[in-house]
Amino acid sequence: MGLDYNISNNEQQFVLDALKENTRLDGRKLLDMRNVEIQIFPDEYGHVDVKLGKTEVACKISASIEQPYKDRPFEGLFQINTEISPMCSPFFEVSQGASGGTSSRQTSEEILISRMIEKSVRRSNALDLENLCLVAGSKCWSVRADLHFLNYDGNFIDASCIAVMTALLHFKRPDVEVSGDDIVVFDTKQRDPVPLSILHIPLCVTFNFYNPNGDEENIKGESNGELIVVDTNLIEERLSLGSMTITLNKNQEVCQLLKSGGLNIDASLIMNCCTYAAKIVSQLTDQIHRVLKEDEHKRINPTEQKELQTVNSREAS
Amino acid sequence: MSRMEVYSPEGLRMDGRRWNELRQFSCQTNTHPNASDGSSYVRQGNTVVLCLVKGPMDTNRATSTTRASADGPVLNINVSYPPFAGIERKKRSKNERRLSELSIVLERCFLKTIVLKNYARTVIEVNLTILSFDGGLLAACCNSITLALIDAGISLYDYVSAVSVGIYSETALLDLNSLEESDLSFVTVGVVGDSDKLNLIMCEDRLPLDKLERLINLGIQGCHQLRKLMNDTVKEVGVELLSKRQ
Amino acid sequence: MSNIISITRPSVKQAKDEDSDDMDIDEELNLNDAKAKEIQDIVVPGELITDDPSWMRGHGTYYLGEKTYSAVAGVILRVNKLLSVIPFKGRYNPETGDHVVGRIVDVTNKRWKVDVGAEHDAVLMLGAVNLPGGVLRRKSETDELQMRSFLKEGDLLNAEVQSVFHDGSAALHTRSLRYGKLRNGIFVSIPSNLIIRAKNYAHDLPGGVSVIFGVNGYCWLYKTKLDNSPGVGPKSSLERKFEAGVKMDAANSAFSPGMGSDAPNKLEEKASWDIYSDKNDSISATTKETISRYRNSLLALSNFNVAVNETRLAKAYEISLGYGDVSELVKSDIQKSIAEDLINDEKMRG
Repeated sequence: MGLDYNISNNEQQFVLDALKENTRLDGRKLLDMRNVEIQIFPDEYGHVDVKLGKTEVACKISASIEQPYKDRPFEGLFQINTEISPMCSPFFEVSQGASGGTSSRQTSEEILISRMIEKSVRRSNALDLENLCLVAGSKCWSVRADLHFLNYDGNFIDASCIAVMTALLHFKRPDVEVSGDDIVVFDTKQRDPVPLSILHIPLCVTFNFYNPNGDEENIKGESNGELIVVDTNLIEERLSLGSMTITLNKNQEVCQLLKSGGLNIDASLIMNCCTYAAKIVSQLTDQIHRVLKEDEHKRINPTEQKELQTVNSREAS
Repeated sequence: MSRMEVYSPEGLRMDGRRWNELRQFSCQTNTHPNASDGSSYVRQGNTVVLCLVKGPMDTNRATSTTRASADGPVLNINVSYPPFAGIERKKRSKNERRLSELSIVLERCFLKTIVLKNYARTVIEVNLTILSFDGGLLAACCNSITLALIDAGISLYDYVSAVSVGIYSETALLDLNSLEESDLSFVTVGVVGDSDKLNLIMCEDRLPLDKLERLINLGIQGCHQLRKLMNDTVKEVGVELLSKRQ
Repeated sequence: MSNIISITRPSVKQAKDEDSDDMDIDEELNLNDAKAKEIQDIVVPGELITDDPSWMRGHGTYYLGEKTYSAVAGVILRVNKLLSVIPFKGRYNPETGDHVVGRIVDVTNKRWKVDVGAEHDAVLMLGAVNLPGGVLRRKSETDELQMRSFLKEGDLLNAEVQSVFHDGSAALHTRSLRYGKLRNGIFVSIPSNLIIRAKNYAHDLPGGVSVIFGVNGYCWLYKTKLDNSPGVGPKSSLERKFEAGVKMDAANSAFSPGMGSDAPNKLEEKASWDIYSDKNDSISATTKETISRYRNSLLALSNFNVAVNETRLAKAYEISLGYGDVSELVKSDIQKSIAEDLINDEKMRG
């Protein structure tokens, strides 16, 4: 951690008191998500920018042809690259090793974020890897998702997961033709590019836990005074006494679930969180589909879109 | 080798257990009195974990550079997975992501379980060595850390006991071995004391949401059982120590 | 949900118990009674001690509302209305007046950091040590610069805990000639809770060997000082030196270390420098062997969790003589029988 984010005691008290009264600094209720803005860059496939309040994450998908792993000749490669730079917040330091290499300076938060996304998307087989195989054992597509964290205001995990999944859904790879060992890659102008085969859409929801009566209360106490908050911003995240991230898809499947330490939460409460998360996930999935559809619409009718661009009008004048 | 049946129609698992049976559990504390302040040796089936706790000690004594924290101790957990621990002999790099994640998860689990205010500006170093791996790694690590911390005389709010639970179609299976782990979706559940409150829950596989509750329930029961077993050992050791000290 | 079945390793305890049945049955019964009482008092983390709010909560406990719980595995101690739990094991907790043995780990600004086996390193202020030249000598900047010539990293010393800070760390002092750098012997570390509290922790043992039991579990075994030798000595010489120190203080504003002269105050100064000498006296091979035997006997007791004081150590030494060579004493079974012999011997004497 580069810097510590210090919150004065009064500020802490203020935020917690507000939470107790079911309001938050930005006027949301405890279980409200921030507005999710998904922006797809018009010039490319698979370049997405997601805003969750002030938290901003960009994801770019790229693909190249490489040799598959020896022990998995029928599967393509898929790599998610997360690197949190000081750009998004001074709390993060420059990590030395790029692309997956864990440097000693990587903070525990960074490792958790990247592992969480890895587990949610890659381990849960959201991307059909067998579909990426071209010639068994020698040629396959290697898909790489680069996540860029542009601004930090809490809840990186949820935002990144939305970004990666939208980008993967949006991305189209060039069409190829395989004859024997030869592979012909067609330019996007020659042949329409092909979308990736996505098996399901896992999305993360992070819950943060608070107890205004102090954390000892949850160890033995019978009272369940704890508060559960969804999609925290920076201050709330720092003040939270524990968090749980659950990854679900629309088919009500848990893809990943992690709550490590923090407040001890009743099992029934955790189940409630999970069902609530399922609701959020289905809304988000719908939103992603909607955004993708709009984008597709724009691409099919490029003229319509061009008229809306300021660049156009300037050229005309 | 023909594929083994994970759970036979007669209700038996690969190793002959029933669905609600834990593997053989045994534990010892104070196994390394000279090398550490507290130590434990935990065996859950064929998973064997050794845990050494050093500290609480001054921050400048820690092996890695640590910034002292005024609110409580810094907990450094280090997991080592020697090449001989698994079925295949495989060298693992020290900062493999999975292991660093494991140690972070464990750190967070125990930080809030230690009575923080007693240990401001100190470091507690926990070194885990996995002597043999046969599933339920996170659970075994949790249990061994609990015992080692108790052995070190560090103030804890309560025991943390953990166990893994898997689902086979409609049946929840308790305490999986590595064969079952590779076939089934499973959840690791960690419970504080004898409450129904979860300190830890970790799931890395796809699992239908409606089955989760069943798994957690079974897991909590398993944890309570493990807590009882650990408790017996701690008390036994205590009685023995007292009888000699006089 | 139905209950969980657990499989545990069949315990080997049974066999042990049968062995002990051969012993005097009456004694066994008594032991069991005592044991039963102890089990009642043994608590583990998270165990409810009382829900009576009138108790004061001491170390090793925590409370939520009116309920008091144990935070460690240990024995309940009730002193008047104070309730605390003494853990079976744990780091040493310094208390004012404790006689400790420590090792210098760091030399910093006007102070030494001393490892005393506690949660925090103890500090030894430059102003809290006796420097060559007498008790009342002022500490000058030159002293600050040459702190390493008095005590450097790795040096062992014994000292008294002068005060304890709020975070539990200790400030030490060596302002008595009983305290100071340790020489002519070896260091043994045993768990601090095995040291039996006593009035005095420095003892002369049979065989020309002395011991300092640090309350923190660090012990020092060394060749007994002859009365007329300088340095850490018995009280008589201490008083003598104190007077001398006062006398010469005025004359000694700028001291020069190690200057040989026949003037009485110079002699004293030389003697004081010897406190910080790094050189051991010559120790005969037999004394060395005796020291090692004491060391191994001490470790034997500590390995089998027998609390120690000077009489027990002397007794263990005596018993160990029956087990042949010193090198035999490192064997676990021999250590065990030494510890058992000692306990049995004490039982016989009552």
